Amino acid sequence: MPIVCALVPNYEVAVARLDDAALRERPLIVADRLERGHAIALDEAAFALGARAGMTLVQAAACAREAAIAVDDPLRNRALWERALEALDTASPLVEDAGNGTAYLEMRGIAGFERDWLASVRDAFAQDPELAALPLRAALGPNKFVARAAALVRDGNVVHAGDERAFVAPLPLPVLGLERALLERLELFGVTNLRTLAALPHGPFVRRFGPEAARWHALAGGVDESPLVPRARRITIDRSLYGEGTAEREDQLLFALRTLVAGVADDVALLGKRCGALRLELECEDGERILLATTLAQPTAQPATLFDLLRARLEGVVLRSPVTGLRLGAERLEAGGSELSLFANRDPDPEIVGIALARLEAALGPQAALRARVVAGNRYEARVAYEPFTAARVVRAPQAAATRTTAAVPEAGTLAYRVLEPRAIEVRLQGGCPAFVAGRSVLDAAGPWRVDEAWWAHALDTGGRPIASDAYDVLLDDGALCRIVNERDRWYLCGTYD
Amino acid sequence: MVSLAALEQRRATLEGLRAALAAGYRAASPEAFTLAEESVVRSGLGTLDAALGGGFPRGVVATLEGAPGSGRSAVAARLLASATAGGGLGAIVEAPAGPEGSFYPPALVAAGVDLERLLVVRAGDAASIARAADILLRSAAFGIVVIPALELRATVWTRLASLTHRANALLLAIGSTASDELRYFASLRVRLQPAQVRFAGESGLFCAVAGIDVEAAVLKHKRAAPGRRAHFSCATFERSGAPLCALRERSLENATRAAAVAW
Repeated sequence: MPIVCALVPNYEVAVARLDDAALRERPLIVADRLERGHAIALDEAAFALGARAGMTLVQAAACAREAAIAVDDPLRNRALWERALEALDTASPLVEDAGNGTAYLEMRGIAGFERDWLASVRDAFAQDPELAALPLRAALGPNKFVARAAALVRDGNVVHAGDERAFVAPLPLPVLGLERALLERLELFGVTNLRTLAALPHGPFVRRFGPEAARWHALAGGVDESPLVPRARRITIDRSLYGEGTAEREDQLLFALRTLVAGVADDVALLGKRCGALRLELECEDGERILLATTLAQPTAQPATLFDLLRARLEGVVLRSPVTGLRLGAERLEAGGSELSLFANRDPDPEIVGIALARLEAALGPQAALRARVVAGNRYEARVAYEPFTAARVVRAPQAAATRTTAAVPEAGTLAYRVLEPRAIEVRLQGGCPAFVAGRSVLDAAGPWRVDEAWWAHALDTGGRPIASDAYDVLLDDGALCRIVNERDRWYLCGTYD
Repeated sequence: MVSLAALEQRRATLEGLRAALAAGYRAASPEAFTLAEESVVRSGLGTLDAALGGGFPRGVVATLEGAPGSGRSAVAARLLASATAGGGLGAIVEAPAGPEGSFYPPALVAAGVDLERLLVVRAGDAASIARAADILLRSAAFGIVVIPALELRATVWTRLASLTHRANALLLAIGSTASDELRYFASLRVRLQPAQVRFAGESGLFCAVAGIDVEAAVLKHKRAAPGRRAHFSCATFERSGAPLCALRERSLENATRAAAVAW
């Protein structure tokens, strides 16, 4: 089965350079965010300077000082790749989206020969000025793995059926996309390329490295039996409502909206889908158009839910003139929903939670509803990470639901801690220990506990010293039990035990 | 001469009177104030739950009042643990930049909270916090919602109290003091004070906070008898803080009870 791989190497880097021409001449590191960020992608020049994906941004910048830094924009990346996929639809009816920067096209039955197929993929990108600026590589192979390997080696590569084993044999192990620790482990066994990996006896290799190893072994021989999974075609559901008169009052507008929502919900349900986002456009008498986009945390096709959400979204909108027409579009159409647990009758309905999350987002803005996660870190505040709260995860797995989890709660009370935004305070010392904190006498003190961080950051603005901090737990005369930190000769109040 | 039938009748009457008396006694005894299992959220702190008649009642606004360091957040963490461990959802609405700061999730985990089932809402001001609490309670999906004890108008507390009752949830307001409006609308008020702080080790580098002892007083309880007191201990959430050395207790009996909101 001939498959073309359309590959944009270092996709995030390519998009960042597309948006800012000044970045094209310098090594580039793409980070997830500037403050306490990590390098998520980098070009070959930055790699050669020693930067690696996964480093903290400060580490990567210290390794590759000449490199420019760009902040990743996932929404922009995704939107551009969606456009690329739309463009690739003109080359083949079956296009698999393998993540940003990689797509597979099945070319069986497509008119023309191998070079024509590759040319059609390039033509698809050339139609769009932005896509044309991306460093596209197109290659042909008998399966997905070989096609991608061929694209990684060279643009325009063609590997015929029967030649795949010989083609992949000299390729290095990273082509398999394995973790670094695993690659190092394989190198300890003297396995440096796919030829040596394919030469290993299948049974003992799988027994030593686990069931996943069977797939690596097959790939090393150029065999990839994973099928091409075509992406779903974009479906548009859109309805509009224009009456003879205008809607001047809120109840008139809501009445019209309810009718519109019922129609859209019917369309969504008819297709067996659930709607993940809504786009409402209000056309006013004075010609003004108000566009309201709403995202549903949990896709649904229930008209009541959709209407409730839109009404909440309309709460903060000020209309200067009567509404003459409404247009409602359903977006992000998805199939299926969350698996409900048979034994978890106390599990909340994900749709209800989803509505609450959407309301919170509408009222407080994005990133207001979060789920905390404990991570490894030296400082107290570095041991926490927050991610968006999703309704899908509130339904427990049946096994977890059937198991009583109340045993996890400890018998005795546990002291809590509250993190405060670090604020500078005055501390007076006696014998090297805090004696007065913000004018209050210290009854007892524990510490200091030193945390040395960023020992490699001598070049930063630390005056040649590494960043070190001394933390104390102090009990004050008013009964408050606080954590204070001395960093660079300044004292900060960082939290209280409570 | 009294007949046998009259004696039987007299005995039956006396039995009836005894039963009525016993029922009256039960109604007035502390057992009568015990709330049903399904109508409370238990903190798991035995003495506190007993003082509250079984736990924190559902469907009401409750306050935990006390200065920072009095164990308010520890009790809130236990209630969140109880709610999430049973399969429900809990929510914290907080203003990280405010004087109270934000909860520290590793300490919540140590208290038994399932972070997967805990929603943390970041809000900037009092109005945003009230609106977030309104949305969460209106969904009726969250068994417990923890908010700072805010100074809000009576109309807002009316709405929140009504939604709390309708959702059969527990709205827990924690802060140094409660405003007049909150005192009125809260069905349960608990005042907490640290009694003593325990340190492991003598002082300096080889010393660590081992825990605190807390005294709780029920200031108001509309579903059980108020005025009760409880005493409980909280151990540190740090595993490294497990005392290998001798414990040292620092009494706070003479500590200044100044409100620590000045931070």
